[in-house]
Amino acid sequence: MITLASYLVISMILFLVGIMVMLSRKNIVAILLGIELILNAAALNFVAYSKFVTNNLDGHIFSLFIIVIAAAEAAVGLAIVIRFFQLKETIHIDEATQLRN
Amino acid sequence: MNETVVTYLAQYEFFDYLTAFFGENSLLLTTIIFFVFAGIFVAVAATIGGLGTYAERKISADIQMRMGPNRVGPFGILQFLADGVKMITKEDVMPRTADKFLFYLAPLMCLVGVFATLAVFPVSSGFTLVDLNVGVFYLIAISSLVGVGVFLGGYASNSKWSMLGGMRGASQIISYEIPVTISVLTITLLAGSMSFGNIVAKQEGFLTNWFVFHNPFAFIAFFVYFVGALAETNRAPFDLPEAESELVSGYHTEYTGMRFGFFALAEYIEVFVVSGVAAALFLGGYNLPVKVEIDMIPIQLVQISIIVGKSLALYYVVIWVRWTFPRLRVDQLMSICWKYLTPIAIFNLVGCAIWMVVFKGQSMAQLLMGH
Amino acid sequence: MFLDILFLGSALLTVVSAILVLTTRNIMHSCIFLLGSLIGIAGLYATLGADFVAVTQVMVYVGGIVILMLFAVMLTGGKDFVSKAQSLLGLMPTMGNAWSYGVGGLVAVVFLLTNVQLLSRLGAMAQKKNDGSFESTVNKIGHLLVKDHVLAFELSSVLLLGALVGAAIIARPRKQ
Repeated sequence: MITLASYLVISMILFLVGIMVMLSRKNIVAILLGIELILNAAALNFVAYSKFVTNNLDGHIFSLFIIVIAAAEAAVGLAIVIRFFQLKETIHIDEATQLRN
Repeated sequence: MNETVVTYLAQYEFFDYLTAFFGENSLLLTTIIFFVFAGIFVAVAATIGGLGTYAERKISADIQMRMGPNRVGPFGILQFLADGVKMITKEDVMPRTADKFLFYLAPLMCLVGVFATLAVFPVSSGFTLVDLNVGVFYLIAISSLVGVGVFLGGYASNSKWSMLGGMRGASQIISYEIPVTISVLTITLLAGSMSFGNIVAKQEGFLTNWFVFHNPFAFIAFFVYFVGALAETNRAPFDLPEAESELVSGYHTEYTGMRFGFFALAEYIEVFVVSGVAAALFLGGYNLPVKVEIDMIPIQLVQISIIVGKSLALYYVVIWVRWTFPRLRVDQLMSICWKYLTPIAIFNLVGCAIWMVVFKGQSMAQLLMGH
Repeated sequence: MFLDILFLGSALLTVVSAILVLTTRNIMHSCIFLLGSLIGIAGLYATLGADFVAVTQVMVYVGGIVILMLFAVMLTGGKDFVSKAQSLLGLMPTMGNAWSYGVGGLVAVVFLLTNVQLLSRLGAMAQKKNDGSFESTVNKIGHLLVKDHVLAFELSSVLLLGALVGAAIIARPRKQ
């Protein structure tokens, strides 16, 4: 018997795992992986509510926009990572200590 | 609602016997039917992939004025079986410093990405495994798994040649997805639906109902799709990632035996699937040249043979192109995609949309005949 | 019945892959496990009848973002990255000591209880059930995108253009 609660539990687990990944990894690309998990958890939540509670498809539209925004943000984030690597020759997050140069 | 093989078979009398045996609306019966049909599709696709290697050698020999393989079996037709046996019995070598998990995963990803597209492949109006409402979109999405497989194959071999080949191959695949997707969107615009069943049903009847003759934009879109799909399957003249003379066979250098067989089989089956999709979207699919109202099993078999025939004709064109044109450099390849094919594809989409509004969705043939 | 099997399989794939993203040391393996997690989420969308969103998820994430991450890992030093963090049981890198984890755990429990209290009313709102009767969402999403949500649609296209140009400018090679 699948109810709304099962989808909420899954998205909560994904969200928590995403936060743990963001907090505990030292590689900048790994932190971006955590961000993707968090965004997906939110999108799953929207679609689940759209199916179980409301009668329209607004949740689907919102999930589509979440996917679009996640793609744009991943692209820009990875461009920043590449620039960081060009400057510092490493992608350890502890090296990112200065605001300029 | 998505139509499946099961809902099609449910309208025949022998299906009632099966329902009486398994119970009403039984999951086991559905699973068994799906597995049987999927097994048939996979077996046929693998055979066509194997025969593709034989066909390539014979056709290239014909173009180069020599005889191809003609020792094994009549006209050498069992050559692909001999190749298969050779591949299976080769030793399975893995470089010591290679990444084991990704080394094992890469050929599987390529193969899964290609075989999963057979689920929506339009064989006939009843026997398509599943006629998804988002059929063409699903096909393009699943074949992106091949790109990941190519990249992993290049990386996991832990060798410079493979890495270069893998990166070039993956960037080529993801770049050429764009003109392919936009051309398919043009057809979606013409048909009003993304499901293969609806798209092919709109093209039934006479030759002029085909979407390739619908308006000049769809005509150009056919060629954009064909060139883009050639590049997506890493086929010549876009085959720099696996070029035998440049990179010592690129991203599958370190693969031997059956793992290499997976890569090669995935490529040949993908060429067949892509030409089948081109035939279904642009060239009328499995439709007979006349409109047929009755719906029986022999009609389905005729439809299957029609679409397989059209796909094999396009397959011949693909092989012909490979042995005619020289190979493109990687920067020429990228500039063709981004500077030429993508603007042409976008222009096609906009032009087709304008045509649909101005002429209210009529094709050129209908306008000429004065509807 | 089939829906339950699909749900269970997708949920297992998603959660197990996400936990493996957390615990793997090798960054390439983490990217591949993220790929598995995203495919699992696409399966979950399919159980909810969101066919268009599921296929968009596969297309954008699998065909685009994961390959982008793999490229970025390769271009920035790749697997030669050495992590200097201490680890708990050799599995996960830890962030602090027992005190910080204790306070964090207490905050998490309080947060959880507050959420359960707030969301219990939403759970009662879930009148509709998932009975497996789906209809195609493609047409309706198309209509909604150009009628009700056209502003967000146009803004997202501007956002994507900005991201495209910005990423190309930020990461271009400098003449040094």
